[in-house]
Amino acid sequence: MTVLDKVAPEGSKAGERVSPRPTFRHRLSRWDVKVSPYLYIAPFFILFGIVGLFPLLYTAYVSLFKWKAGSDAPDFIGIDNYKDLFADTQFWNALTNTISIFLLSSVPQLIIAVLLAALLGARLRGATGWRVGILLPYAASLVAIGIIFANLFGPKYGLINGVLQTIGLDPVDWQASRFGSHVAIAIMVNWRWTGYNALIVLAAMQAIPKELHEAALIDGAGTWRRFFNVTLPLLKPTLIFVTITSTIGGLQIFTEPKLFDAMPGSNNGGSTNQFQTVTLYLYQTAFQNASLGYASAIAWVLFVIILIIALVNFFLTGRIARTPAVKKK
Amino acid sequence: MTTLPRGLNKRVAALGKPRKATYVVLAIFVLGSLFPFYWSFLVASRDNAMLSERIPSFVPGGNFFANAARVFDTVPFWKALANSVIVSGTVTLTTVLFSSLAGFAFAKLRFRGRNKLFVFIVVTLAVPTQLGIIPLFIAMSELGWAGHLTAVIVPNLVTAFGVFWMRQYTIDALPYELIEAARVDGCSMIRIFWNICMPAVRPAAAILAMFTFMMSWNDFLWPLVVLDAGNPTVQVALEKLQSGYYVDYSLVLAGTTLATIPILIVFVLLGRQIVAGIMQGAVKG
Amino acid sequence: MRTIRNGLVLALGITMTALGATACSGGGENNPPAAAAPNEHVDLTLATFTEFGYEALIPEYERLHPNIKITHRKTGQGGPYHEDLVTKLAAGSGLADVTALEEGHLSDFMDKGSKFNDLSKIGPADASPDRWLNWKYEAAKTKDGKVIGYGTDIGPLAMCYRKDMFKAAGLPDDPEAVKPLFATWDSYFAAGADFVKKSGGKAWFDSAAQNFNSMVNQLPQGYIGSDDKLAVENNQGIKDAWAKVTDAVAKGESAKLTAFSNEWNTGFAQGAFATKVCPAWMLGVIKEHAGPANAGKWAVTAAFPGGGGNWGGSYLTVPTQSKHPKEAAELAAWLTAPEQQIKAFQAKGTFPSQVKALTDPALLSKTDDYFGGTKVGELFAEQAKKVQKPQYKGPGDGQIQENASSPALQAVEQGKPAAEAWQQMVDAAKKITR
Repeated sequence: MTVLDKVAPEGSKAGERVSPRPTFRHRLSRWDVKVSPYLYIAPFFILFGIVGLFPLLYTAYVSLFKWKAGSDAPDFIGIDNYKDLFADTQFWNALTNTISIFLLSSVPQLIIAVLLAALLGARLRGATGWRVGILLPYAASLVAIGIIFANLFGPKYGLINGVLQTIGLDPVDWQASRFGSHVAIAIMVNWRWTGYNALIVLAAMQAIPKELHEAALIDGAGTWRRFFNVTLPLLKPTLIFVTITSTIGGLQIFTEPKLFDAMPGSNNGGSTNQFQTVTLYLYQTAFQNASLGYASAIAWVLFVIILIIALVNFFLTGRIARTPAVKKK
Repeated sequence: MTTLPRGLNKRVAALGKPRKATYVVLAIFVLGSLFPFYWSFLVASRDNAMLSERIPSFVPGGNFFANAARVFDTVPFWKALANSVIVSGTVTLTTVLFSSLAGFAFAKLRFRGRNKLFVFIVVTLAVPTQLGIIPLFIAMSELGWAGHLTAVIVPNLVTAFGVFWMRQYTIDALPYELIEAARVDGCSMIRIFWNICMPAVRPAAAILAMFTFMMSWNDFLWPLVVLDAGNPTVQVALEKLQSGYYVDYSLVLAGTTLATIPILIVFVLLGRQIVAGIMQGAVKG
Repeated sequence: MRTIRNGLVLALGITMTALGATACSGGGENNPPAAAAPNEHVDLTLATFTEFGYEALIPEYERLHPNIKITHRKTGQGGPYHEDLVTKLAAGSGLADVTALEEGHLSDFMDKGSKFNDLSKIGPADASPDRWLNWKYEAAKTKDGKVIGYGTDIGPLAMCYRKDMFKAAGLPDDPEAVKPLFATWDSYFAAGADFVKKSGGKAWFDSAAQNFNSMVNQLPQGYIGSDDKLAVENNQGIKDAWAKVTDAVAKGESAKLTAFSNEWNTGFAQGAFATKVCPAWMLGVIKEHAGPANAGKWAVTAAFPGGGGNWGGSYLTVPTQSKHPKEAAELAAWLTAPEQQIKAFQAKGTFPSQVKALTDPALLSKTDDYFGGTKVGELFAEQAKKVQKPQYKGPGDGQIQENASSPALQAVEQGKPAAEAWQQMVDAAKKITR
């Protein structure tokens, strides 16, 4: 409230100054209100028109051809690529892997991210250091990550299997086992992305006015009740954001399974494609097999699948972070 | 009856005060985050033999500067560094600015088609990017930008991710009352954005800046495809260190360690911006 | 809003022109390559990956040809390099005037012969077929006789082995005395079974795929028939090779380490296997990963099961996208001349594919202390001459090796029954050649 008190007198002075020409001022202001929103969102749409739309149309067009990169006369085959795709066991296998790795990574990741954000939101000594610290994995070099995780999850000489054996358990062949490889990749994903999401949630938490927490505390709400009744509902827009971007990112998962493959640079996702994701398959089809038509069809189908799952998640998130305890509007 | 309010007062005052356990948990996370960096530095300061040790020693060796010098001899590191600073700096500034503007419009302004246009932006996020590289290269060649930094900068001037994020944050961080008050005072839209909205969304903008800078800094395949040989970004230049039938990891990791330093600087500078307080922000504005 | 519409119009404009360009710009053969006027300034680009050893040669060429300026586009690893290549081939622009191609990827580009200039037509006269080892030259010839690349280096195969492990198992360890063990694949695998028993279960070789690839390469016909159709199911040679390799795995001869993986690297230091299929460039790999602690333990011998073989090496091509094909071909021919390839060998150890280079004193006198002072130059020159006539590699051959047979053998090593893995390989090969 103090803010408004402070601003108002200054502003009214400015208002008085322009009062002799109300009509022009008024028209200008109305024009401002009407046009500004479009001006502000224009950069995205202009850029999309230049660099986003064309690839989309190109991919759609190419997906109707049997098109090998560099071939002179691609055959128009209509929707045959799509028909083939729906009968392609490797595609369904890749989709299953993708969803499995996605579930193993996203769910724990988001929960930990929210809790981590709650910890980071405290009045810490050296707050900047802690906040920057948890974001670091995302900045680590892929070469280093590749070697470190290979050393951790190596079936023969890996550290984790070494530990398992010393405590009397059977070693896991993290490369060969389908579930084992998914778990290992999910750990890699979580390691890289949890801090990233925690920081997003943290920013939103900090925007919650402290007075709300104080009021709830005086009403006798404990830590957990405050978290569920004050924090979570107010985080709703951010949770929607995090869920949707993690869904989209998780279903396009590419770097981690590629790095995890024992065969360097391989897009196979293991000896029997046991951890090949859809984007790896797409990449292999496009850049190794040079089958641009088929790869384009994969890209479009994946796009539609992601949209459907993102939509489902959107409604689910809406449910979880139900009606806000405090109306803000 | 008199003790209870005092206890409550204490508890209110203690709100947000961290316990020891908080530090312990965070320290575990930060150590896990720091490990690859320290490990990279270790290999860079020693030699490849370390990679074959099952439990390597955690004492750095004395070869770091020798390995770093080899990096400078092998690739045009300074040139690449300058290019990356230009690319990532530009992309970060424009992404934050344009995303905040669009986020403000979508969150707080009323206009026809608002919801549909916003949904459209979110939908574009779901487009798989792996295949886009071929048509994008065609587009850049047609525009005559292939080979220039423009071709790396322009496609990333603003992202759907950024717009989506800034909108979600602005919804709750910027109360309508502030905007209405400013309107009553005759502020133009752009002044409201700059003087009222931006200060309120500064933490989100700082986070977006960190993400964008990092993403741009680490981008590899697209710059490799589209840039000229003599004009690389840092990641493209560093990739050349991995030539040959075996990889000299002490050289490669010396290079990546050097390339991480600018990111760390940006992180620390921006990290301070992620501070609490929407009201506080508005006062400063 | 007008700007938005303009953006859309622009994007569509680009769409139309670009689609036209990629769909129809197949030609190139029709227009005879235009040569620049003698002293006209020409900018050439050269694209290579890993180490070709050309760094010092480029300024030398520019001194000899003052009107030519060369930009060298060097990529570290083959993976991203060839992905970049596919992108630019598909986009119809952006390829370098002189573009290197790796031997393993060659088969993927042979059927796109129309995208490359015929060097036998536009190249200089001194780059005649007899400059190269016959098998190297022939491998870059398309079915209709176009030569799309000049050979640079090769990877002639020999055998590397651990002397100390041989000795401990009671096998001969002298480079001459071990030759009978490496005479044929049968003798090799039999010696392996023997070694496993005598050494108490130590592995004989690193990975099944490494041997299988060499065996398939020695056959008269590979995965793809001369009609460019997949011929793996009826190829008795491939079936036999599969049976022998998987049998060896069953007998415990494989260390089950995926080539070039981190564990494979560690395997060298740990002494995880006793022999290794060994192209010339593998010596550097062994030295790096086995480390100084194992110096003198590894040896290399001038023998290879089933005769000879080659793994690795590259070609220089001139894509039809080049605006200066004549000048580009001249540069490629100069770089791949024996004199230059010897300099490249001295700079980066790339083993030359030129007949004259193989008798060069600089090559023949080359020794390697890590391998007990063996005359490695002479040894691999001898092995290079043992390679028989090249096998025809149809479209998809390289991909089948990388994405069908190698993963299937990896699966066998991870416990999949050999018959099921064979079916997995056949299915994957069918998909690749679809």
